[in-house]
Amino acid sequence: MPSLPALKLTGLTKTFGAATAVDHLDLDVRAGEFYALLGPNGAGKTTTLRMAAGLLPADAGGIEIFGVDARRAPIEAKRITAWLPDEPMLYDKLNPLEYLEFVAGLWNVDPSEAQARARGLCDVLDLWKHRHERCEGFSRGMKQKVALAGALIHNPKLLMLDEPLTGLDAAVARQVKNLLSERVRAGASIILTTHILEVAERLADRIGIIQRGRLIAEGTLAQLREKAGGGNSSLEDVFLQLTQSAELAA
Amino acid sequence: MSLRPGSFAWLAAHDLRLSFLRMRSMFGARRPAAILAILAAILAVFHLLAWPAAAWLARAGAASGPDALYYPALACAAVFVLPWLVAQAMTNSTRALYSRGDLDLLLASPVSPRAVLSARALAMAVESLGSAGMFLFPIADMNAVISGRHWLALYPALAASALFATGLGLAVTTGLFTVLGPKRTRLASQILATFIASAFVLGLQLVNVLPEGMRADLMEAVNNPAPGSLFDRNGPLWLPVRAATGDGASLAAWIAAALAVFTVSAVGLGPRFMASAVRSAGAAGASAPRRAGGREHSFRAGAGAALRRKEWRLLRRDPFLASQLLLQVIYTLPVSVVLWRSQGPSGSLALAMSPCIIVIASQISASLTWLAVSSEDAPDFLASAPVTRSQIERRKLQAVFAPLALLLAAPCAALAMAEPAMGAITILFALGAAASTALLNMWRPHPGRRSDVMRRHQQSKMVGLMEHMLSLCWAVAIVLAILESWAAVVPIGLAALLLWFNRPPRVARPVLRESLA
Repeated sequence: MPSLPALKLTGLTKTFGAATAVDHLDLDVRAGEFYALLGPNGAGKTTTLRMAAGLLPADAGGIEIFGVDARRAPIEAKRITAWLPDEPMLYDKLNPLEYLEFVAGLWNVDPSEAQARARGLCDVLDLWKHRHERCEGFSRGMKQKVALAGALIHNPKLLMLDEPLTGLDAAVARQVKNLLSERVRAGASIILTTHILEVAERLADRIGIIQRGRLIAEGTLAQLREKAGGGNSSLEDVFLQLTQSAELAA
Repeated sequence: MSLRPGSFAWLAAHDLRLSFLRMRSMFGARRPAAILAILAAILAVFHLLAWPAAAWLARAGAASGPDALYYPALACAAVFVLPWLVAQAMTNSTRALYSRGDLDLLLASPVSPRAVLSARALAMAVESLGSAGMFLFPIADMNAVISGRHWLALYPALAASALFATGLGLAVTTGLFTVLGPKRTRLASQILATFIASAFVLGLQLVNVLPEGMRADLMEAVNNPAPGSLFDRNGPLWLPVRAATGDGASLAAWIAAALAVFTVSAVGLGPRFMASAVRSAGAAGASAPRRAGGREHSFRAGAGAALRRKEWRLLRRDPFLASQLLLQVIYTLPVSVVLWRSQGPSGSLALAMSPCIIVIASQISASLTWLAVSSEDAPDFLASAPVTRSQIERRKLQAVFAPLALLLAAPCAALAMAEPAMGAITILFALGAAASTALLNMWRPHPGRRSDVMRRHQQSKMVGLMEHMLSLCWAVAIVLAILESWAAVVPIGLAALLLWFNRPPRVARPVLRESLA
């Protein structure tokens, strides 16, 4: 029996006034898959992820996370997911350990297990020596690492990441990418939006391209190249060609 | 006439435009005509309200004798207005130092730092003048009608006072920065500004709680001052008062003194202020490590406990916030003494204490609820967690009530020991008052930053008004209850009605505030 998709969006729609941000979007992220969602500015990537994470009510359509209907049973769905936006959501007056304790408490992780995981995540992300310092003094990269540790401390089955590498220096970006790859190898599923096409090219199993709220192309890099006319072009060329073709067709 | 880009006048026009836009944003998206109409209506109401004050001043000016209140009233006004203007200047200077805004752009541009600071300082002075003038100019206008045109001297005198206070505030803030460094100055300056601004209220209450004999001596000293004493009306300390009441020479001297202080401060301190701004930007990136030797953190379980602990930690680690909340208590406490004294030797302790306990309970509860609900730092994060909105709200309310209970435990216990029945009623009413303002703030959330807790009503004056009305209703109710009057149910009913009008709509509400930009 095939395993349930990590994330299944069917006919997902969201409008803001007269503008349609997400337009009957159908999208599947398979279990254990690293899925990159690309698109030009304003294409509806963040809106899609925010609806999937339960932060924004959808106007229509379905959201299933490992078979759980996220619109009917949001708490159940949230238990197995993590959401990480481009701007880290932290409390300035807490230190990283206190923040991780808070997150673990919300997801009801056993305290001793949470403590061990916090130690491990802080070690991997090079946060341990800063564990008693308040987040208010951290750089953006440090804050993003704390937020990522928070997203991982409850071992989510599905990670939804919105531009997680924006503004990070090369070293921090490498740490984050390595950690995400490890999580996928360990069986987690990831859907990530990014403008850094190199990340999608290197890490993603499949790539979806969204424009005007609709999925205009989806597949592995090789499949997308084929769709864009073959050759050995970079993802950037493929992306531009597909989005421009879709724009002309619209 | 176009101004030369980069000149003082050009920068001042830019800053004044920003000030105007900030003021305009308080009116939402209304059209200019509507804003003008609202402003005109407010001014008209203020002029109407100023009439009795002006009439009283005219009568007081004509009276004489040891109990005459004219000069004490003028002295009080000066003691109130000047510190308030200085406090405003300090708050604005601190904000200018620490908020990056356009300061980075200006500092990176080939514009003189003196011109930048002078322009910014002028905008601060104009903002201060506007906020004080809104209340004082109507009194001057009404006094001009009743007592003579010399009262219009308040306009230039207040403008000079704003310049003087801005210069002083700027100098104090820069001095604090030099002495305390970038990390401590913000907090020190904000606390100092708050205490300076409250000096008048505290001072006035102090006068009220003085023994009768001392108060009579003080009035005598103000009305019949010895030459060269603190209250000598020809002395330098009374210069602003003489200027405001139309003494031409004093007005000229006060304007000259204010211009001198402003110019020396704005022009002289320009480079130092800008250097401080650069240092404050550097300090923003530095961490604030916990003291060495702290024990390792051990995790505890549960979503509810996590939410409560988080709220308490954030409160505990924000001394500025704590000082702001405690000031609400300090403002209220002397009222108890006044109520106690006003009843004579056989007065009721409950009648003196209970209304204050009620007011403190409602106000602190409102502030804490706003902090927990509307100034949540990570609303999206909480919304993505597997906890329901009602769970979050319940835990936050628990977090709010715990410090409030801690604060009111001692006075309530003291009252219960002295008058057990009244103590029990007070606790009951305090719970009602605290719950009502907490619910109001929960049902009508208005996003803001934690540091803006005392300015939160600027965003929604209606919620502020409701909050004060709820507070008043419960305070009146407790007084009536202590007097064993069934009429106490009327203000309680009114409070319930106010809450009912503010109940949340049936449609789904956003969980918590949207992230602030």
